[in-house]
Amino acid sequence: MKNHLSFHSLSLPFTSFHSILILSLFTFHLSPFTSSAQDITVRAGYNIGGTAPLPLPASIRSIDAFRPTFSPCIGADFQFSIFNFQFSAGLHLENKGMDIDATVKSYHMEMTKGTSHISGLFTGHISQQVTQWMLTVPVSFIIHHSTFNIKFGPYFSLLLSKEFSGIASDGYLRQGDPTGPRIEIGNKEGEWATYDFSDEMRSLQWGLGVGLDWRFSRHAGLSVDLHWGLSGIFNSDFKTVEQPLYPIYGSIGLFYNL
Amino acid sequence: MKRLLLASLFLTTLLFASCIKDELPNNECDILSAWVEGEEYESFFYQTTQMRIDNIPSNSTEIVFQVRTKTGLPPIPVYFALTPGATIEPANGSLQDFSDGPVTYIVTSEDDAWCRIYRVDFQEASSSASSHFRFEHVAVDTFTNGSTYHIFYEIEDNIRRNIWASGNAGVAILHGDWTPAQFPTHSTDNGYQGKGVCLNTQSTGAWGAAFGKPIAAGNLFLGRFNVNAVLTDALKATEFGIPTSQQPVKVSGWYKYTPGDTFTDASMQPVPGRVDQGHIYAVFYRNHDAQGNPVVLYGDNVLSSDLIVSKAELVPAATDQWTHFEITLEGGSADPAILAAMGYSYTVVFSSSKDGDTFEGAVGSTLYVDEVTVEFQAN
Repeated sequence: MKNHLSFHSLSLPFTSFHSILILSLFTFHLSPFTSSAQDITVRAGYNIGGTAPLPLPASIRSIDAFRPTFSPCIGADFQFSIFNFQFSAGLHLENKGMDIDATVKSYHMEMTKGTSHISGLFTGHISQQVTQWMLTVPVSFIIHHSTFNIKFGPYFSLLLSKEFSGIASDGYLRQGDPTGPRIEIGNKEGEWATYDFSDEMRSLQWGLGVGLDWRFSRHAGLSVDLHWGLSGIFNSDFKTVEQPLYPIYGSIGLFYNL
Repeated sequence: MKRLLLASLFLTTLLFASCIKDELPNNECDILSAWVEGEEYESFFYQTTQMRIDNIPSNSTEIVFQVRTKTGLPPIPVYFALTPGATIEPANGSLQDFSDGPVTYIVTSEDDAWCRIYRVDFQEASSSASSHFRFEHVAVDTFTNGSTYHIFYEIEDNIRRNIWASGNAGVAILHGDWTPAQFPTHSTDNGYQGKGVCLNTQSTGAWGAAFGKPIAAGNLFLGRFNVNAVLTDALKATEFGIPTSQQPVKVSGWYKYTPGDTFTDASMQPVPGRVDQGHIYAVFYRNHDAQGNPVVLYGDNVLSSDLIVSKAELVPAATDQWTHFEITLEGGSADPAILAAMGYSYTVVFSSSKDGDTFEGAVGSTLYVDEVTVEFQAN
């Protein structure tokens, strides 16, 4: 039986995709190619990072607060060998959240509600929350060295629940361009501007992951990973936020080899 | 584990923070204040406080100094406070000749990419014994987002005086594709005589409601509308009053009023049994406080301030026929010396929803106004 992880067209509904994924991974476990005694590793960890434009535009003047969010990551990985090379593939359930305050200067923003919209350059304070619950399939090539495993490879994520919203306050909006009317934006409800771009977020993300597993006992160990998103979190036709935002997250956790 | 987590939090913040780029030069190019300096020019002004104009709204392109007379007006140096880093041409503080009309200044932003054009003018203060406002003079203003709306002005001694203001600019922010007839304040060809004014209370749509400002009443008043404060403090956006050297005693004119169908409160909830009302009022007030600072009245105190000398109010009865109205200002008398020095201001205000400034009213309420006369006290 040929083993491969196949990713069908992006428009597949979630449940079918899920089933195919589980089936593929189960097939791996039963495959004659699997030779390692430790097939399954369960993991639990914590994600920390953010969705950021790269490079950070000059309109972002400072990051004023960076608050932790409930961003756990739990899952299981299956290790297998192909021609004596070690790989792993897994299924993780995680949240990549972000709660940040920033000061911006002349940052392009567009806020639409119904048929009216306001767009222009905002200078002031932004308080923003991002929530991205997802099912992630990381695929890694493994280099083994004594108690360490170095992992490197792509990951693919399906968003289950997403939110991107915030408040623009304590500043002003120059409507249209820098010579447009300057509209003061206050610091209280009714005087500040809220925005919510959750509906504009893509359902699929992918990127590259690199990580280190350090086994400190026979079965358990510590893992540190970096997941660098290569796809922007918003649909490509969404132009309100000037630049694509990439999810860049590190995670720290524990693993246990079954 | 917790320490590791906190350390990561700190490192991540540091990572993001270290990527912050250098600040770019400013791209705005506004005139924030303008003033004339020099004792030799003081005699041309009624008050030295009129030698300075502060808080110039971002939607202004015209800066007008009121003077006693332009006869013998020498070249005057006008100084400007600009957006930091911006430059102005002709030079800041340079002597300019205003005897033939306004002088055009161009302000360029620090990053050299944007510029704004302003006209600075010196105008003789109006001195008519009565003022007839016929509302025949209408101009079309284009907002930055492309919407266009009407502005009413007067012509006196061949000079255009932009003394009438409305909340149109505030509504224009939300509606980039509107044309004049859609705005709460617009001209109508069916005035009592010739053209007149149509004031119409409207819904501001989902955005206005999101900011807690679900309706916009049609309004017209003597004064200035400052678009800057329209979201944070809507009552401060309406600056009522123009300086005068005469005390108004009576305001009369013609009107028609039809209330809208459903009266709603500030949350757009219908209030059964309540019917919208229009509002016509005039206020005459002292335009400097006890410390000598210049004062203008806003939406939150134009009918209640201690500086009011006399006022008159009318809630016009609903009628679909042109009806004459007349209100007489009651109160005290102006001090003649202060009056001669233009130490008083007056305003006349028309609104299609009496409580529109607190966003209570009925969408669709319409007030027509035309042929307004203000009679002043004979000296």
